[in-house]
Amino acid sequence: MSKYTEDDLKIELENKEYEYGFYTNIESETFPIGLNEDIVRAISLKKEEPQWMTDWRIEAFRAWEQMIEPEWANVHYKKPDFQAIAYYSAPKSVDPNKTLDDVDPELLAMYKKLGISVDEQKMMNNVAMDIVVDSVSVATTFKKTLAEKGIIFCPISEAIKEHPELVKKYLGTVVPQKDNFYAALNSAVFSDGSFCYIPKGVRCPMELSTYFRINQAGTGQFERTLVIADEGSYVSYLEGCTAPSRDENQLHAAVVELIALDDAEIKYSTVQNWFPGNKEGKGGVYNFVTKRGLCEKNAKISWTQVETGSAVTWKYPSCVLKGDNSVGEFYSIAVTNNFQQADTGTKMIHLGKNTKSTIISKGISAGKSQNSYRGLVQISSRADNARNFSQCDSLLMGNNCGAHTFPYIESKNPSAKIEHEATTSKIGEDQVFYCNQRGIPTEKAIALIVNGFSKEVLNKLPMEFAVEAQKLLEISLEGSVG
Amino acid sequence: MLSIKNLHAGIEDKDILKGINLEVKAGEVHAIMGPNGSGKSTLSAVIAGNEHYEVTDGSVELDGEDLADLAPEERAHKGVFLSFQYPVEIPGVSVTNFMKTAINESRKAKGQEEMPANEMLKLIREKSELLEIDRKFLSRSLNEGFSGGEKKRNEIFQMAMLEPKLAILDETDSGLDIDALRIVANGVNKLKSENNAIIVITHYQRLLDYIVPDFVHVLYNGKIVKSGGKELAYELEEKGYDWIKAEN
Amino acid sequence: MELKEKLISSFMAFEERVDVDADLHDVRTEAFKNFEEKGFPTKKDEAWKYTSLNAILKNDFSVFPKNENTVQYSDVKKYYLHEVDTYKVVFVDGVFSSFLSSTTHDGLDVCLMSSALTKPKYKMVIDEYFNKIANKDESLTSLNTAFAYEGAYINIPRSKVVDKPIEIINFSTGTESALLVQPRNLIIVGENAHVQIIERHQSLNENPVLTNSVTEIFAQKRAIVDYYKIQNDNLEASLIDNTYIAQKEQSHASVHTFSFGGNLTRNNLNFYHQGEYIDSTLKGITIIEGKQHVDHYTLVQHATPNCESHQNYKTILDDKSTGVFNGKIYVEKEAQKTNAFQQNNNILLSDKASVNAKPQLEIFADDVKCSHGCTIGQLDERAMFYMQSRGIPAKEAKALLMYAFTNEVIESVKIPALKARITKIIAMKLGVNIGFDL
Repeated sequence: MSKYTEDDLKIELENKEYEYGFYTNIESETFPIGLNEDIVRAISLKKEEPQWMTDWRIEAFRAWEQMIEPEWANVHYKKPDFQAIAYYSAPKSVDPNKTLDDVDPELLAMYKKLGISVDEQKMMNNVAMDIVVDSVSVATTFKKTLAEKGIIFCPISEAIKEHPELVKKYLGTVVPQKDNFYAALNSAVFSDGSFCYIPKGVRCPMELSTYFRINQAGTGQFERTLVIADEGSYVSYLEGCTAPSRDENQLHAAVVELIALDDAEIKYSTVQNWFPGNKEGKGGVYNFVTKRGLCEKNAKISWTQVETGSAVTWKYPSCVLKGDNSVGEFYSIAVTNNFQQADTGTKMIHLGKNTKSTIISKGISAGKSQNSYRGLVQISSRADNARNFSQCDSLLMGNNCGAHTFPYIESKNPSAKIEHEATTSKIGEDQVFYCNQRGIPTEKAIALIVNGFSKEVLNKLPMEFAVEAQKLLEISLEGSVG
Repeated sequence: MLSIKNLHAGIEDKDILKGINLEVKAGEVHAIMGPNGSGKSTLSAVIAGNEHYEVTDGSVELDGEDLADLAPEERAHKGVFLSFQYPVEIPGVSVTNFMKTAINESRKAKGQEEMPANEMLKLIREKSELLEIDRKFLSRSLNEGFSGGEKKRNEIFQMAMLEPKLAILDETDSGLDIDALRIVANGVNKLKSENNAIIVITHYQRLLDYIVPDFVHVLYNGKIVKSGGKELAYELEEKGYDWIKAEN
Repeated sequence: MELKEKLISSFMAFEERVDVDADLHDVRTEAFKNFEEKGFPTKKDEAWKYTSLNAILKNDFSVFPKNENTVQYSDVKKYYLHEVDTYKVVFVDGVFSSFLSSTTHDGLDVCLMSSALTKPKYKMVIDEYFNKIANKDESLTSLNTAFAYEGAYINIPRSKVVDKPIEIINFSTGTESALLVQPRNLIIVGENAHVQIIERHQSLNENPVLTNSVTEIFAQKRAIVDYYKIQNDNLEASLIDNTYIAQKEQSHASVHTFSFGGNLTRNNLNFYHQGEYIDSTLKGITIIEGKQHVDHYTLVQHATPNCESHQNYKTILDDKSTGVFNGKIYVEKEAQKTNAFQQNNNILLSDKASVNAKPQLEIFADDVKCSHGCTIGQLDERAMFYMQSRGIPAKEAKALLMYAFTNEVIESVKIPALKARITKIIAMKLGVNIGFDL
């Protein structure tokens, strides 16, 4: 009779290999390492950008040079050497004139390995995909179907050339170039990313999706995403991330800007599975990401994230609730294992009247990992009747990990209603025995408990993604369990 | 049905059960009473297969099969049900989902197909009425925020769903006010049949006014020191456990 | 003469009347010393930041009533829960009224503190329980202890399910121009026993009364105690209620506090856990107006694993009334698997009404669930409009919404007659005459 305890689970988790840790051997073109104004210009030139874009980047670079890396987060890591990173790496075979059939077969094989075969996605899931490997967007599907509705979904590099008026109008309006150290760096060197525009009153008929992958060694990935939902429109956007296992740390510093104009709604979901480093804590991705959305009148932005990867995560998807009656939501599951460190949460900035925000954060820590929730709820004096509900739950597995909660509440309006709930719990032997006694085997019991803990957030993901996320949870926590 | 012979068990070198002998036949209700620390809860845990306790000697057989090498879930599949004294909370897992998982795992173990959804629904409806359980209750997270009465009612509801051969009710009356006690006892009485058996573990006689036992056993210091009919329970309540302690 | 000085001379007079050689008197003397040192609390004390006693203490209170007063049952029947049979311990101006009471020694003790404190047969119990959990540092509790003489003494033996509720009622007649009364109750609920108790303070005319009450409750293993406090006194009466509850393993204790009347009311409610698998419930409904002031100050001390506490306080404030909620949950390092919930919802019906809420969580264990939620708001105008558009007049619609707001607390009242009574008082309080059937 084998007894499967929390300790066994812990051991299994620690020994669990990163399933996406393969390296695809495709020929790529990589810039020399290091960063200076010339590199920034070179990136802009390489992408055949107009002058205004080059100037915008240079402005960001000069600001970045004056800034210092922030240290307030509850994470400890060796700071990246920004001069030892290559700021541009593109699979060589990319040619915008080619169709999908012409794409490097090895690249296609890689998608298959990722479980995101482009064709399959097209056929089965009704999901339009933009895939960014290292820094360059390699395939955007469903473009034509979307174009019929007036929806623009393309690599941002293409948008800069073909829709400059939109990019110029919105880029940097939610996350300014000088917002923070990593945002400034991204603004200077971003090489690609996704761009999306939903016209007035249009409900995007399918989920839009981007898949990011860091492939080349010693490169950083700095993608830039800009989503604009015009008045009364709706879009649901999915983002997935993986990277191969490497000994050295890879840097990922993305910026995502969402703009929801009057009565628009944006749902942004992320399943992040960057390489977390091995069980000794070596390697892994540094994930320093700035994500922010702006809500105009009656608009709604909803962030949902399932974060299982990265060695160090520093990420606070936020909502600026500028318009009256606007709504911000943040649903997050963050799993840390081995030596992973995550400092993640959200900011809800209530500026308009009758604005509402909801924060549900679920942290699961195993191994020797540290998992922190950091959240700010700010109610300005104008924000009459603002409402916030926050719930932060932590689940601990074993005695070597930590969970921390740092909620900040700043209210300048007496009519505000703010509620906060917090729990910290462990998977108990008593819970497992209770399930056993009702005939449920231990592995199933643990899957049941973890899923129960995460349910409120999993329920918020689009169906196609929820299944993947649930699988990912089981992989990163339960190994073969379930 | 259940046959316990010379059962010795303990925890970390501490002997708790020191030679228990007990025969329970189908259709019978047995009550096990005893003072604190006499080993009542240990006995129920050992029958259910809690590996916290080590069996050092003797055997527990169900229908002639030795349970020693069976995991707790395997015992459950064979029809052993334990109503916990302190039912555990499982946040986010609804009562319905939990029961569905439990029933289907049992069926899987027996090589049967999963229960069809409509059949499951019918079963849940029927059994929840028996325990006067509100439908809304079934979609709440298992035991989370349940009152003492709700937790115990939920235990008996699960018993009704799983239809065990042998049900052990460990201090099912604790935390129940009189009204809740009546509902729970009524549910248990309706589940009683010629084919199953019930062991009621309790410290007090009050519960036995509602679930009337055929036999009463007194457990003291890890042994059954006295057995008798239901009158024994009254005698115990009146004289207190010091009476037993004095005799042993 | 200032009240404190008056109390000092009264204590000397009190010593003339009681047995100063008894052990009990050492307890009283010790307590009085503490009161003398600390005096009445002021706003400078963190625990009294939002409640000032200054105005009340200016009254020239009598500490002992000059005359023995009687009241007619027919005049006060309405204050009893007369729809059902109950045990009753009734005091008039702090003096036991055997005429109005219905006590018992048959299978349980429902009787008088004055006998328990003086008769030898109770000595063992008194030595074990009296003043054992009351806070010895707190000045008002000390003041009560110093003058402890009369109150209810209830002792329920093991496995006894008390067949009917017990009422503890304190009437003040107002024959004194101002009166200070200090009831002292001791309640011991034995192993596996169940009891329901209703407590009420009622003054019968407009003269000021200050009640400084202390109740100690011991819930033994597996006991179930339901305690209800009805505070619907007239507007010259003020109440400082100090209740201390110690719970042993597997016991369930609940206290419901209904604060509708009175000038100033301060409820100090303290729960101490002394075993595993304890369940504590603290609930309250406060509906006040004018210049009324109600302060709920709660403490739940989670010292042992696997225990739960549930707090739910609903407050509706009109005119210039003020409400305070200070809820402290303390989870000691050993108290793993604690579930502690606290909810405090407030509705302000006027711009001049105000509420101060301060939840305090101090958590030293790492496997716990704690939550606190606090809301301050107005009635939902859309719901009001909706009901009005269906023909329900504004006043009734408002009352209906407020009743719905308090319903969560009323729901858990286990005595049907009491539930009906509370509902009726709320309807009166809201100035409507409709059956609430929600």
